[in-house]
Order: sequence, then C-alpha cells, then structure tokens
Amino acid sequence: MQGLNQPATDYTIDELMCVCIARQIEDGELVVQGIATPLVVAGYLLARLTHAPNIAFASAIGQTFCRDWAPLSITQVEALWLGKAMGRFDFAQAVCELLPTYRPKEFFRPAQMDAQGNTGNVVIGDYSSPKLRLPGCGGIADVTAYEERMCFYVPRHSRVTFVERVDFVSGLGVGAGPADRPATGPIYLITDLGQFDFANGRMRLISVHPGVTVEQVQAKTGFPLQIAPDLQETAPPTNEEVRLLREVIDPLGIRNLERLSGAQRRAKLHEIIEREQGARLGKLQ
Amino acid sequence: MDKRITLTEAVQLVRPGDTLALGGMTLYRRPVAFVRELIRQGTGDLTLLAFTAGYESDLLVGAGLVKRVRTCYFGLEIFGLAPMFSQRVERGDIEVVEETEASLAFGLRATLAGVGFMPGQGWFGTDLLRVRPDVKLVTDPYSGSQYVAFPAIKPDVAVIHAPVATRAGDVVLRGNLAVDCQLAMAADRVIITAERIVEQPDEPLDIIGVAVDAVVEAPRGAAPTSCWPDYPLDGAEMLRYVEACTGGGFDAYLNAFLDG
Repeated sequence: MQGLNQPATDYTIDELMCVCIARQIEDGELVVQGIATPLVVAGYLLARLTHAPNIAFASAIGQTFCRDWAPLSITQVEALWLGKAMGRFDFAQAVCELLPTYRPKEFFRPAQMDAQGNTGNVVIGDYSSPKLRLPGCGGIADVTAYEERMCFYVPRHSRVTFVERVDFVSGLGVGAGPADRPATGPIYLITDLGQFDFANGRMRLISVHPGVTVEQVQAKTGFPLQIAPDLQETAPPTNEEVRLLREVIDPLGIRNLERLSGAQRRAKLHEIIEREQGARLGKLQ
Repeated sequence: MDKRITLTEAVQLVRPGDTLALGGMTLYRRPVAFVRELIRQGTGDLTLLAFTAGYESDLLVGAGLVKRVRTCYFGLEIFGLAPMFSQRVERGDIEVVEETEASLAFGLRATLAGVGFMPGQGWFGTDLLRVRPDVKLVTDPYSGSQYVAFPAIKPDVAVIHAPVATRAGDVVLRGNLAVDCQLAMAADRVIITAERIVEQPDEPLDIIGVAVDAVVEAPRGAAPTSCWPDYPLDGAEMLRYVEACTGGGFDAYLNAFLDG
C-alpha cells in the first residue's frame, strides 16, 4: 500500500487542476464560488479538508456565508448554500459592499484571454454580428477594475481561448485602469497544461504539468509565451488528495464536466443527473 | 387587504413594450408559471430585465416576445448556453443592453435612493463603455477620481416567485435572493406568485406588502426550476430542453410546455 502523502501515479488532469487550485488557498480566507465552476469548488473543498480547515465560503448561488460543506452536486446545491448557511445577504449587497470591501478569492474562467490577461466572456467574433453569443461576464468587468489578485482557470488550454486579441474585452487585464487606480489584475492562471503568473505584466509559464512540454504549451497559445527562468514541473497530487477528490468531495465526477465536450459531456451529464435524481425519486416512491 | 388575483389577470398587468423584470437566480425560484401564461397571452415587444436570466427567460426569447435583454448572465449554468438567447442574438433578432452585476445592482440602488445614477469602480478598460454610450463617467467632486455613473434602472413590472406569501403581499423568499427585494421596491407594478398563501408567516419577511400589487397562488409555479426547500431543480428537464433546442425542436417543446 502506498503512503497517503506520497505522490500519486494514478490521477487525472482535472484532479491535478483541483490540487493546484487548493494550493492557492490560504487558511482563514473567504472564497467565492461562481456559476457552474465545479472544478474550483472541488479545489476549495480539498483545501478545506486538508491545509485550510478555517476557510469560509460565499457562493454566487444562494448568496450566503457558509463554513460547512457538502459533496459536489448539480440539482441539490441549495441544500448546501441555503440549508447550511450561517448568514445571508443579497446580490446588491454582495456587489456594492462585500466584494469591494473584503475582496474574496475567486477563480474566473475566461472564454478568451490575451497575453496581458484581458478577458472576454460576452461574444466570440465581432460584437455586432457574433459567431457565438456567450452568457455574459457576470461581474468580471466590475471586480477586475479594483482587484489586485485575480485568479483564473482554463480547463482546456487552446488557441480558441488564448488569443492575440480578445474580441470583446469584458475583464480588465494587467494595469490598464484609470491613472489613479491601475489595478494590477491577474496574478495566477491554471490550465490543463501548466501554471502561469503575470510577473512582468504578461502571461508567464511558471510550471508545466508532468508529461507536458513547453513547446506543447506554446503551440496551443495564440501569442508568444513568456517562460520563467526557473520553470518547474507541477508537483503531482498525493494519494490522499486523489482519494479525497474521488471518494469524499466529488464521487459523481461533476468536476469532469469542465474538461469534456460534445457527446462525451452530454453522456456524463445524463449519468450524473440520473444518479442524483434517481436516488431522490427512489426515496419518494 | 386582499391582493389575490388569478394568473390570467396578473399577466394582464403586463403591457406590450414594458420593461419586465423576472425574479430568482439562474435556475432557482424563477416565475415559470407566470411565463407560461404570458406566452399564452402573447404580450410582446418586451424589454426583459433579469439579474441573471435562465430557462424562463430563454422560453420568452424563443417565443418571440422579447425585443431587448438586460442582464449580466444569460445561460443555463452547467447545462450550457441558453440556446434560444444565443441563437437570436447571433441572428441579430434581439437587442442586448450589456449589463454587469454592478450596473444592475447600482442602477437599482439609484432608483431606490431617488437619484439618477450611482458611481462604481467597474468597467474601466473594457469594451462595455463602447457598446453602452448611454453610460457616462463622473468625476468625484471630493477626490477628483473618475468613476462610471451607472444609470438608474426602473422596471415597469416585476414578477417574483415565492415559497410563502400573505394575501396582502408580505413575502418570504428564504434566500438565493439575487436582487428580488430591490426589484420589488423599484418596479411600478409588482406581482408575487407563491407556492402557498398563509395568514401569518412564521419566518422573517423579505418583501413587505406595501410594495406588492398582486398575489397569485401558484403551487409548483417555479418548476422545473427550484423552489427551495419545497422542490429542487429538475436537471432532467433542463437536459430535455437543451437537447430539444439543439435539435431544432424549440417549437415542439414550447407547445408541450404551454399545454402543461
């Protein structure tokens, strides 16, 4: 039997991303969960169950303050965010008061990002006749104007996301705010290929995941990549971290939905919903 | 005062061309029963205002009743894009007034404070100011800093689904409030659809009856979105909807929905 804290050899890329997100969390922090971001929630819960037992959650769904947790769910999220809430607020309070004051940690998923960390979540293509209309930026355009430590994640690193020029900028990148408040913006990005910072004002590769080469990362990035002189290989998860993710935090594998696409994603979503609702309906009948 | 009316009567409080605000959050506590009756009556030319817009809003857009959308997020969470919204914007059939969390929250707060705008720190360095020429900058008279002057937002009608209400329109929402309380205070006409009408709620109120014009008893009025803790989100129905639309089957889905 392998040791709990030994590096795992059997792990998936989504699990490695969750572990990297967990490593960014400091104990005692307030963390925010955005809409449809299960990979991030799994990372937060991993931090909560390992090195950061005192973090507090503020969820976009529910708008509550919560210290307790529950395994990831799709149709039962309110049982956690409302059922286990210790206090609640509303979205106007969150936007106008809490976010600018407490500056909680949140991981945003950009549809497009350029080298300076400007992001787009509104359209792909020309704004007036878009190739693809996306849901919108939520509050990214608001918080990037003042937040100095923005974190991002991209589950599928490609030239579709990392572009020379963002079609419609709905999130401010490095240091382009008003003269008296030049927000320093993004500080951390995790993708399925590596980890990045913005140390010199441009996206910079600081670690490649095991088995990934710098050339592969560059080939999937639509602009010349900066490379940190002390480039590392990302440390793999431990056996215990993988066990927690698979057995305790996300037994249904909801985090996988962020990595899948097309028919595979559809099939996985059906399977998860059938397992969640089947279990519930089974109890009722 | 008894403000109870039927769903049919409540929909008649919406006039063609109104700015219609829908309460709830993404796929939670959305006024689906109201939307069903609104589509049956065919009241159109609407400006749809929602903090976040989900399944209920996509049905309205697909039914062709919406000419303009104001929201910071229009989608179906983990179930994907809102198919009819994305399609109609890509075709150029509807206008989008780009909003963010701050423009909606500050805009509603401006209306409640009785002023024309509220300043905020957001939007600088983005393309939002370019596509919203109606939104101006303002100089702080004390520090000289520049801020965005988010204009006041005033809905004509707000429709909010609640687990519990009284005949007089006192409302218990139980969380996931989004901006429902602000919508109820800001709108000219406020309609509450409720799972249950009670004499005296035993929980704190979220909306007081003086804000409310009409109350409609509508059991399961948010389904297939959730009304916590009475019933959860019906994920299987979200999948059916997305897959129907992907296969070009929105009209058939809508017909079945209207018969429901």
